[in-house]
Amino acid sequence: MPDLAIRTQALRKTYRTRRGKRVVAVQGLDLEVPIGGVHGFLGPNGSGKTTTIRMLLGLVRADAGTMTVFDQVVPDRLPDIVGRVGAIVESPKFFPAFSGRKNLELLADAIGAPRQRVGEVLAETSLNDRGKDKFKSYSLGMKQRLAIAATLLKEPDLLIFDEPTNGLDPAGIREIRETMRYLGQQGRTVLVSSHILAEVEQVADTVSIIGHGRLLASGTVAEVIGGSGKPTVKVALDTAAGEHAANQERATSILTSAGLSVRAEGKYLFVDGAEHSADVTRRLAQQELYVSELIPVRAGLESVFLELTADEGLGGQQ
Amino acid sequence: MIRLTGVELRRLIARRLTVIGVGGVLIITALLLFAVWRDAQPMSAAEQRQNQIYLEEAQKDWKLNGAQYQKDCEAQYQSQPDPKPSLKEFCPGPPTIDQFGKPEVVFAELMPDLLQGVSYLLVGIAFLVGASFVGAEFSSGAIGNWLTFEPRRMRVYGSKLLGGAIGFVPVAVVVVAFLTLGAFVIVDQLGNTASTTGKVWGDLNETSGRIVLMTAVGAALGGVVGVLLRHTAAAIGLVMGYLILIEGVFGSFLTKAQPWLVRLNFDAFIGHGATYWVQQCESSGGSYSCTSVEKHVSFEHGAWYLGITAVALVVLGALVFRRRDVN
Repeated sequence: MPDLAIRTQALRKTYRTRRGKRVVAVQGLDLEVPIGGVHGFLGPNGSGKTTTIRMLLGLVRADAGTMTVFDQVVPDRLPDIVGRVGAIVESPKFFPAFSGRKNLELLADAIGAPRQRVGEVLAETSLNDRGKDKFKSYSLGMKQRLAIAATLLKEPDLLIFDEPTNGLDPAGIREIRETMRYLGQQGRTVLVSSHILAEVEQVADTVSIIGHGRLLASGTVAEVIGGSGKPTVKVALDTAAGEHAANQERATSILTSAGLSVRAEGKYLFVDGAEHSADVTRRLAQQELYVSELIPVRAGLESVFLELTADEGLGGQQ
Repeated sequence: MIRLTGVELRRLIARRLTVIGVGGVLIITALLLFAVWRDAQPMSAAEQRQNQIYLEEAQKDWKLNGAQYQKDCEAQYQSQPDPKPSLKEFCPGPPTIDQFGKPEVVFAELMPDLLQGVSYLLVGIAFLVGASFVGAEFSSGAIGNWLTFEPRRMRVYGSKLLGGAIGFVPVAVVVVAFLTLGAFVIVDQLGNTASTTGKVWGDLNETSGRIVLMTAVGAALGGVVGVLLRHTAAAIGLVMGYLILIEGVFGSFLTKAQPWLVRLNFDAFIGHGATYWVQQCESSGGSYSCTSVEKHVSFEHGAWYLGITAVALVVLGALVFRRRDVN
């Protein structure tokens, strides 16, 4: 049994623009997606996520590198494992003049799935009532649900969702998030690409962050966040109203001289680089400045992402 | 592959453009039969009276000038290029009522032209529907979704072309049968079907078979163009551009190139041979004269030309589809 659902090594893809200029979309990407659970595939717009997914699905040819899905080299052996892989690449694309049911029936017939499966997946995605309506009359959320229904026709072990919540309203986003979580809990592997980090952070077990087509970080969410640098603490001083500004300035000076990084935001000071929160209170108390609040600030995926992509000069587009 | 082709057939039949296209062909076929019925109608009493007046006027004129007309005609006959018709055919003499009446509709003479006409219609519609059938998949992006279910591109490509081609076979059979039998019934009542021998029926069956074949090929080639251009409108634009620029403008300026153009070869294949004319000009003694010379393109030439062109296009489409990135 393989322990990785997806592995890419030194994957590379360049495009030629209409003016003949070469654009590197993916450069030497090494990606590993473990079997089971939800894996967030993160990166700013234009970082190569969709291109990577398209290469995995055989829609786009790689210039160099290797890719395996369930230990099968793709795209050569894709026909052998395509029944185990369901994918939605960018926006759902079906035949617009056909009903949702008709679209699913055609796909079911193409893969030899029984027709009754169409009714089942429509029910699973709460589309029974609108199954007979034309695809072009669907809302974006319904289109996305139909796309998920299509992937479920195969009863896949690996689901690939590329930016699944693009354009959805909050209710739609929540619905998709719950679907991904449910699929992950069923033991399937869900690869979800997104540039909306808060959304992925809530459902992902593991993540890979890419920028400029290269892997920047990978691991469990906790590992990636934990490896992002020293912790931050948020500090409020116990001081009289008239002395607040002067005392904040003194505190900044004391902590900065101890090698910590400090920035003021309203009544709070954000202190980066303290190994232990007690170091902050001790140093301030030694100078007769007392702390009324001290809150450790947990690093989020977003801050890690911004930090990593800023190093890459990407600016963390969102 | 068989399963995929079946799916493509179902998709073809479910498309609105297919229904509109096939419905349009059937309506036009019915209109053709209506035109046959009108042509085969005997002349009304008013028309007969009018023709009698024309005849009498022509006979009066002949009495006065007939000798001169005959002399001029015989002189003109001498300058005709070989092969000449007979003198009696070229200069038929005094006017007769036959020349003013309505010619009798003869089934054996009517059908080749009627079938040739309907062949353009069938192949044109099949090409358009085939191009839209595949082009719409590319322009809507549905092809990418499809390939995530069946990544073997050659199977996908083959099933799309086969689906289009097979789907149009019954359409062509029904249209040709409807036209032939309908015309026979009409002409049998109002015209002449006595000359419809077994050989005539045999020739008509062969022509019909070739029309059915070309309709299927037209649908498949429409699919190929859809793959290459990825948009129905682009496919239609290409065909219109080809017909106007290459078949129309280029073909009329460079008449000798006509055997290498699609339309003449198509006519030769459907009609078991086709004729065309080229201008042959020569200068002698300071004068420059041109004559139209009739040329012939054989059935075999048409068949080879169309076969090679179709195979080349299908192979080109396969190579492009196999390698192209799908967005």
